[in-house]
Amino acid sequence: MKWKLSKQMKTDLVGYSFILPNILGVLLFTLFPMLFSLIISFTDWDYTQGFGNWNVVGVENFIRMWSDEWFTSSLINTLIFAVTVVPLTVFFALVLAVIIDKYCFAKLPIRLAFFMPYISNVVAVAIVWVMMYSPWGPVTQLVQAFGVENPPQWLGDPKWALAAIILMTIWSGVGYANMIYTSAIQGLPRDVYEAADIDGANEITKFFKLTVPFLSPTTFFLIITTFVTSFQVFAPIQIMTRGGPGTSTNVLVYYIYTSAFTFYKMGYASSMAWILFIILFVITIIQWRGQKKWVSY
Amino acid sequence: MKHRKKAAAVMLASVMAMSALSGCSKAPGGTETSATAGAGTQSPGGESQAVSQDAPKEAVTLRMWGGVPAEAGPQKVCDNFNELYKDKGIQVEYERFVNDDTGNLKLETNLLSGTGVDLYMTYTTDVLVKRASGNMALDLSQLMERDGFELTNYFGSMAEAYYVDGKPYSIPTKLDKYGIVINKDMFDAAGIPVPTEWTFEEFREIAKTLTHGEGQDKVYGMFWNSQQDLTYLFQYLVAQTNGGDPMYLSETESSFQDPVVLKTVELLNNMMNVDMTSPTHTDSMTQKLSQEGMFLTGKSAMTVGPWIVRSIKDTATYPHDFTTAFAPYPVVEEGKRNYTQGGYGDHLCINPKSEHVEEAWEFAKWYATEGMLPVVEGGRVPASNTYDAEEVTKAFLSGAEDHMDSESTMAVLIAPADNYAVPSITNHAAEVKKVAVEELEKIFIGQQTVEEGMAAAKERADEILKQ
Repeated sequence: MKWKLSKQMKTDLVGYSFILPNILGVLLFTLFPMLFSLIISFTDWDYTQGFGNWNVVGVENFIRMWSDEWFTSSLINTLIFAVTVVPLTVFFALVLAVIIDKYCFAKLPIRLAFFMPYISNVVAVAIVWVMMYSPWGPVTQLVQAFGVENPPQWLGDPKWALAAIILMTIWSGVGYANMIYTSAIQGLPRDVYEAADIDGANEITKFFKLTVPFLSPTTFFLIITTFVTSFQVFAPIQIMTRGGPGTSTNVLVYYIYTSAFTFYKMGYASSMAWILFIILFVITIIQWRGQKKWVSY
Repeated sequence: MKHRKKAAAVMLASVMAMSALSGCSKAPGGTETSATAGAGTQSPGGESQAVSQDAPKEAVTLRMWGGVPAEAGPQKVCDNFNELYKDKGIQVEYERFVNDDTGNLKLETNLLSGTGVDLYMTYTTDVLVKRASGNMALDLSQLMERDGFELTNYFGSMAEAYYVDGKPYSIPTKLDKYGIVINKDMFDAAGIPVPTEWTFEEFREIAKTLTHGEGQDKVYGMFWNSQQDLTYLFQYLVAQTNGGDPMYLSETESSFQDPVVLKTVELLNNMMNVDMTSPTHTDSMTQKLSQEGMFLTGKSAMTVGPWIVRSIKDTATYPHDFTTAFAPYPVVEEGKRNYTQGGYGDHLCINPKSEHVEEAWEFAKWYATEGMLPVVEGGRVPASNTYDAEEVTKAFLSGAEDHMDSESTMAVLIAPADNYAVPSITNHAAEVKKVAVEELEKIFIGQQTVEEGMAAAKERADEILKQ
């Protein structure tokens, strides 16, 4: 018997064999762990009990988490984090991009300066900010210089700790969004602006009536990506507060990590990870639906 | 034809890539050699271990994992052993894991996945129980019976308190006996003798006497080291009155409304926030204070954990010229010292999957009963009665004879007692601890009173315990 391959099939095979290594990698390191986590999310697997030593508990994990105070508080903290970080980052980035584009000399160095925190190691950035927030650090000194007698203890104060981390996250995320906006601004049609000038539109009008709508696809992209990353915030929390003081900075991913690697409850942690996925999925779908109303291509 | 050749070449390339990938995937779960690679060492030990399977006359190399840095004693221990046992064909190699969540996870992953570790140290009882019941530690009863190695002969009846389900899964090697660390020069200057017995009230007054100065120059009476762990107050202060399970009343009830617990939390709260005789919890956290930075620089007259003995001896890194003494932890009221704070630590376990259980057992016996002196210099007191107390004290003080008060060192840290507070309950320990830490933080920050906070802690912890 001789194999007869059509020419098309041969070409296909060659093509597939090119992507085979990558596909295997995805199967092995992404798809399999994902499916595995879905399976164990329906079990009570305790990591220390060894592989396979678990009971199937159905959807119990998914029900129990809603009465778990750690889970609900971390979910709320994550939501607060996301709904402040996303709009503020995008807003500052847009304003900065326009200002730098219009009114700045030495644009490149300035953009690079804003971009630096984004390309720096998160761990290093977080440690520097811990020092900035310490009682002898510049942030506290600055607040004192403005006449505040008892400045808050920032990371040591449950009311301020999350805000302090939000501020740092915005600072480090603005540079990236700024870069994206800048490249979009450079592609804007000049003739429309000239027409607006001839019609006598001032800068503010041009910003709101032309720049913002023109950039709406970019804004949409940034909102979706920043939303996803801010739901996944982990490193700054781990380094700066470890979820404390109390539960004030306990976010979802940090709690998933805690229940998996401190409490060893792999099954429960996996089911929370899937809830996180579902939440993100739903939010993204809503955003896709909503974009028709405000994004113009 | 030409096409086919090309296709064959591509296939070959992808097969090679595949084998590389699958090679990676095997590392955590597979054979002897790959498990050794998974242990993250590039040492020659792995090779000789692999060789030993084919040629049994080659020396067996054991891999021992511990949390103490190699240079603080374990390396010397291994060198001594290797010298002694080189004719008997057993060698040992030390690998350090950092004793925190991540480090223990790394160790457990190795234990669960293969034979990369032969022996290892477990540092707390709840983890020991977990590992014993999770088939990560070998049941030693058969080996002990065969060799007539009765734990109680060496460690007294307290050794049985560390059995899991009635069976020994480890050899306890270290005596954990702690006390308050004292700057003797400051005590002398204030005319206070080094206490051998004191209550919370007396302790609080002494801390007040020793506190002076303002701002950056302030010298505190006490440093609680609370940024490292807030549950010290249970382990060290409450345990002396209530016994080895200071966070529990029973398997299903937490102790957070117990009068002794409440008084202890009040003591810390008063010292931090009322008397200002110790740095507040917020200061400790936000400034990332440490015992080295506070006590060894003379910014506090007392501190909580004698495990800084390692640093006291390291006068190159932490230059200081005062003498350190030790005192037992204060008790809630006179006559309430029902237990001696302390117990066994450094539980030496054998990996049940190890291919060299016999050799590992040899090493474990040797280490527990005679091999520990080099780690004593790093501040670890042996638990076995085979060691001479004088010799241990000498090793413990070696290099710091001028910096440590030998009398109180021996009395507080080394002399064995027979009424230790031994833990027995580990139900949801990690979660209960987390609840305690969160509520204590809020108390010490001033967000809630001691009564409110501990009531909340009790309610939350009991909820978890009933699961």
